[in-house]
Amino acid sequence: MELEYLKKKRILLVDDEAALLDMVKTILNKEGFLNIETAGCVKDALTAAEEFLPEMAILDVMLPDGNGFSLMEKLKCKADYPILFLTARGEEEDRFRGFGLGADDYIVKPFLPRELIFRVTAILRRSYKNENPLVRLHGSEIDFERAEVFKDGEKIPLTAKEYDLLSALYRNAGRIVTIDTLCEAAWGENPFGYENSLMAHIRRIREKIEADPSRPQSLVTIKGLGYKLITEGK
Amino acid sequence: MKSVPRLIRWFVGILLLSCFLLILLNIGALAMIMTRQAPNASPWKTAQEAAQALEKTDEGYTLPSEMGDKLKKEQIWAIFIENTTMQVVWHTKNLPDTIPLAYDLAGISNLTRKYIDGYPTFPGERADGLMVLGYPKTSYWKHIWPSWDYSFIAHLPQTALIVIGINVAVIFLIYFITTSRVLKSVGPIADGIQDMGNGKTVRVSEKGLLCELAAGINRTSAILQSQNHQLRKKEMARANWIAGVSHDIRTPLSMVMGYAGQLMEDERLPKEAQEKASVILTQSKRMRNLINDLNLSSKLEYNMQPVHPKKENAVAIVRQVAVDFMNLDIEEKYPIYWETERCPAQSWIYGDKDLLKRAVSNLIQNCMNHNEKGCHIYVSVKEENMQCVITVADDGEGIPDEQLAALNNMPHYMVCDEEIASQRHGLGLRIVRQIMASHQGEAILEHSSCGGFAVRLLLLLYQGQE
Repeated sequence: MELEYLKKKRILLVDDEAALLDMVKTILNKEGFLNIETAGCVKDALTAAEEFLPEMAILDVMLPDGNGFSLMEKLKCKADYPILFLTARGEEEDRFRGFGLGADDYIVKPFLPRELIFRVTAILRRSYKNENPLVRLHGSEIDFERAEVFKDGEKIPLTAKEYDLLSALYRNAGRIVTIDTLCEAAWGENPFGYENSLMAHIRRIREKIEADPSRPQSLVTIKGLGYKLITEGK
Repeated sequence: MKSVPRLIRWFVGILLLSCFLLILLNIGALAMIMTRQAPNASPWKTAQEAAQALEKTDEGYTLPSEMGDKLKKEQIWAIFIENTTMQVVWHTKNLPDTIPLAYDLAGISNLTRKYIDGYPTFPGERADGLMVLGYPKTSYWKHIWPSWDYSFIAHLPQTALIVIGINVAVIFLIYFITTSRVLKSVGPIADGIQDMGNGKTVRVSEKGLLCELAAGINRTSAILQSQNHQLRKKEMARANWIAGVSHDIRTPLSMVMGYAGQLMEDERLPKEAQEKASVILTQSKRMRNLINDLNLSSKLEYNMQPVHPKKENAVAIVRQVAVDFMNLDIEEKYPIYWETERCPAQSWIYGDKDLLKRAVSNLIQNCMNHNEKGCHIYVSVKEENMQCVITVADDGEGIPDEQLAALNNMPHYMVCDEEIASQRHGLGLRIVRQIMASHQGEAILEHSSCGGFAVRLLLLLYQGQE
């Protein structure tokens, strides 16, 4: 399964509520994320980071001996890995501060277990997509590291735009991605007026990944809203 | 202060009217006195009549009884001075003893202009002599020097006008000096009252004619400011309290939702237990929404929620919210239909993306909360009458007309000080209204065409001006 390599990633959980740490750990464990280390304060987190060498960290903002923002800066000094904030502080300025410092995502408590798993998976996918051996689709496989599609024993290269679009779809595999999000992924900010170009690119991607492009099974259109990439097992 | 010049105009008007009326009154009074004084010519006239009435007979002079009675009635004495002798040849019986009976030219001149022994005298001439009437001492005052410069009389109209003009100018000068002092004191006070109405801090100089009034305004302003400050502090405390409580409740609620979610999906548990866990999760989600709503609503209420408007594509905003719900609705209990045919590719508005997302999200959540058995949700964006119209409708149970009217007309219990027992609806729609108000938009609640409930959000289209 293509997610297996993500589930081996080492994740550091930092929260001053021991019960919450236990719960988040069980949620992650249940989904197959088994390399989890926990810490209840900044000091313990820094020690754990030295020994455990995490590949992702989930941090609370309010900690007894400091705050999650400064902890993130200290952790990022040592190694660059994705950070997800999981906090009760839902104020706009807190979120902006978190994202401004380089956080990959920000979840405000209370949260649904499914939401947490989705966000963690999406972050890991985005950060470690080049390590993924192959993404299996119904009629083909995608190699993101080489930006190629394997179909019927043939290697088909992806263009830069096709790669960007497929990356955005893959990060949200199994979920609808809006037309606007896809345009933004391919053309950057202010991506308005590209709807026709997007349709043309989607058509070309289908020709590369679908067994029968006229009856797509992996890249599905949700009329008026966007597209959904269905990977094997999703 | 616009009312001060108006006040000045009013006072000047009143003054002009007063002057005009005063002059009119004086002219009237003068005319009346003149009319009454007209009989003053009568002593001269009576003297002339008496002179003519005097009859010369062989036995001397006699006055007809009619004229004699008239003189007697008015206590007038009379003498007749003959031309040739300058002697009094006839007189009435009531002639005082002090009246001389012989006259020279100087005496004649004197009695003509002045008095004889304090009696005002009036001559009436005839061919052979002079009739002189003597009136009681206090009956007339005689002008002894009845002569004026010719030029004075010739220029009398101009002189009168100049005098009146100078009088009016002096009155105006006095008026302006006195009223300018009053206005100087009134101006800052009037400005202060207006500023106080605008909620500004007022500090008026406590000098001048109206110093007591200025001091009163300063005191009132200080009281108002203090009350506003206290009110703001209470509002801030309330909003902060709500924010604090909502913060503190988030972590425990995370635990409830986390474990309930795990139990719900635990295959080893009996189905009944999984269903109970599902109920706990659903109710926890409602609590989470309530906390979020309460927090946002109180911040919007007290203007503590920053609004960052910019040019946004309403279609993209609504589409993202619809997709977020579709991605979460795994059971497909609430399928969302994006009414593509009616949607333009872009609809530009000027607004805060996060708040507008929240408004649409609340509406979709509202459809779910009130239709536990599931329903279809129809979402669309269109442009009508220079407005962007976002519609969220469902084909669920809908609401009765009375409830719809109550939702449209009654204030929410959060801001209502009465009848809260009868209106326990949630905060979702209130937040939608607050967000629309902060965007100069409108939320219209109505029955949907497919039998359920519908809300239309009206926002002004972006016109290139922020």
